[in-house]
Amino acid sequence: MNRKNFLSSLLAIGAAAPVLASSTIPAKANTAPSLLIPPYLRNGDTIGITCPAGDITAAAIQPAVQLIQSWGFHVRLGDTVGKKDFIFGGTDAERTADFQQMINDPGLSAILCARGGYGAVHIIDQLDFSPLLQHPKWVIGFSDITVILCHLHTNFNLAAIHSKMCNSFPDDWAKAEPIQAECILSIRQALSGDKMSYTAALNPQNRPGIARGSLVGGNLKTIETLAGTRSDIDTAGKILFVEDTGEYLYSIDRMFWHLQRTGKLDRLAGLIVGGFKVRPDDPGEDFGHSVYDIVSARVRPYTYPVCFDFPVGHQKNNYALKYGMPHILDVQPTLVRLAEPPENTLS
Amino acid sequence: MPILPPFLKPGDTIAITCPAGFMAREKAQTCIDTLQTWGFHVVLGETLGGMSNNYFSGTDRERLADLQRFLDDPYTDAILFGRGGYGLSRIIDNINFNTFTAKPKWLIGFSDITVLHAHISTNYDIASLHAPMVGAFNDGGASSPGVLSLLHALTGGTAAYNSRPSLFNRKGRATAPLVGGNLTLLAHLVGSPSDFDTTDKLLFLEDVGEYRYNIDRMLRQLRRSGKLARLAGLIIGGFTDMKDTTRPFGTTVEEIIRDVVDDYDYPVCFDFPVSHGKENVALKIGVTHTLTIDNEGASLTET
Repeated sequence: MNRKNFLSSLLAIGAAAPVLASSTIPAKANTAPSLLIPPYLRNGDTIGITCPAGDITAAAIQPAVQLIQSWGFHVRLGDTVGKKDFIFGGTDAERTADFQQMINDPGLSAILCARGGYGAVHIIDQLDFSPLLQHPKWVIGFSDITVILCHLHTNFNLAAIHSKMCNSFPDDWAKAEPIQAECILSIRQALSGDKMSYTAALNPQNRPGIARGSLVGGNLKTIETLAGTRSDIDTAGKILFVEDTGEYLYSIDRMFWHLQRTGKLDRLAGLIVGGFKVRPDDPGEDFGHSVYDIVSARVRPYTYPVCFDFPVGHQKNNYALKYGMPHILDVQPTLVRLAEPPENTLS
Repeated sequence: MPILPPFLKPGDTIAITCPAGFMAREKAQTCIDTLQTWGFHVVLGETLGGMSNNYFSGTDRERLADLQRFLDDPYTDAILFGRGGYGLSRIIDNINFNTFTAKPKWLIGFSDITVLHAHISTNYDIASLHAPMVGAFNDGGASSPGVLSLLHALTGGTAAYNSRPSLFNRKGRATAPLVGGNLTLLAHLVGSPSDFDTTDKLLFLEDVGEYRYNIDRMLRQLRRSGKLARLAGLIIGGFTDMKDTTRPFGTTVEEIIRDVVDDYDYPVCFDFPVSHGKENVALKIGVTHTLTIDNEGASLTET
């Protein structure tokens, strides 16, 4: 039997007989829990820094620590900062323990992941996030941290922040490029409860329109490798953003086909394409299509707005995005804007 | 038991088409000659050595039409794919399998062809051949054990393969249908209409040219999506030309695999001759096999 038909017939049964719903419908199909927004940070609040994926040295983290302290926040460094187990910031057990400690610690208001790399998927199933339901806190990161952001959104509808991490803080703040400084400051603004609003460069392949929905997404390859797991995201009715780095064009094409074939493109409210740092084709393997062409071909059957070159990704212009929170994407021929609505209500 | 397409006899026709990457016509000559020596007629699709000037062997429409023609053609008894690369994901949902399901024929290939194997196994329960493709006949490959095993399988011979002992093997014995293919493609199919069930199956995996951390990530995906929990057994082929990050990942593919199946107790064998390298034997996907792993190594036989 076709898997999709099977699922939709299950859903139909569930709708007709709600008594059965909780026991027969996969967790994903249940009504999502209501959006949980952690308290925004105030002066004197504490941010924990931990390494759930790649490693970072204590020295490399200093610029981030000093800048965050200058914002009026306290910083607590996790045990994994400075730890190294090959490419990881400590063994799986050490990274799990450190992250768990930060989840449990009532004195922390946010957990900043020091960097991405690879490794979050090794610890995600060992973490007990339930303390966050009582005392929500902001989890901050991107790239490999997409695993955690997706997991929190799908399982707890807990808002989070998709942004640069400690390894992207400038060594010397005074000499930071304006764009770099602006992106780092957007983390502070998002954490402090500012309503975020960003514009993107215009692109002739954008598709105009207005979308309203929760903002989800992240690193495309990471999203693909979450398919079928309990961290997988449902994109229906949402604004999806994707970015990636170091992938061949054919692989990017294959990943967009994956999104389409797993039903992640057909019911979107809108699509935001961030930065794609493409790995050059091997000699004689010229793919012949740009990322713009790849995406445009995949979204052709649908009508929702699409924008390209949005400032999110493995690049300098990578602004803090409130993951899982309601947003309005407005794509016009003369303006592209992603903004939080004035009220926290979705129309 | 799955539906078995009819095995081939001398005089039967094998079609060659390229549903994914581009392949030059001259690279197919040895294969064509060999198939004819074996007593088969060979028909060539338009996508072999076609006009494409890019990655693919033709546009999606051209590749689809070529494959569709041979699926529907009553005089084609088997379809051998020119090569893998990438491209089946782009056309699989537009293939019409009505004629094929009414009159199944052997589909032969691996790598990107994993998409097609998984799709027809899941949706139609028709057996297919994970086996060397056209390029494998070149450079003396036509008389290699892998290519000869394709002839054997295609003409109704049963599989009896061995692999050398590995320190990482987990001993045991299991009888179950085969499922599997290229790990990257299998991971890519999870959640799609070509997704595959691994419950009580012998899963075989191979891959080429991937970073170790990415192999780890895909295997974690299989585990987290429940695909490793209820296997009858696991067969690990070649993970060839593996790449590592500048800072070493620190774990070999064997160690990664033993780690992700540590919670389970089914037999696991390594170094099985299925790969992008020289060792690549024909495996009938969907067909029941017995995997035996002991001190002497592993054997896989059709039961």
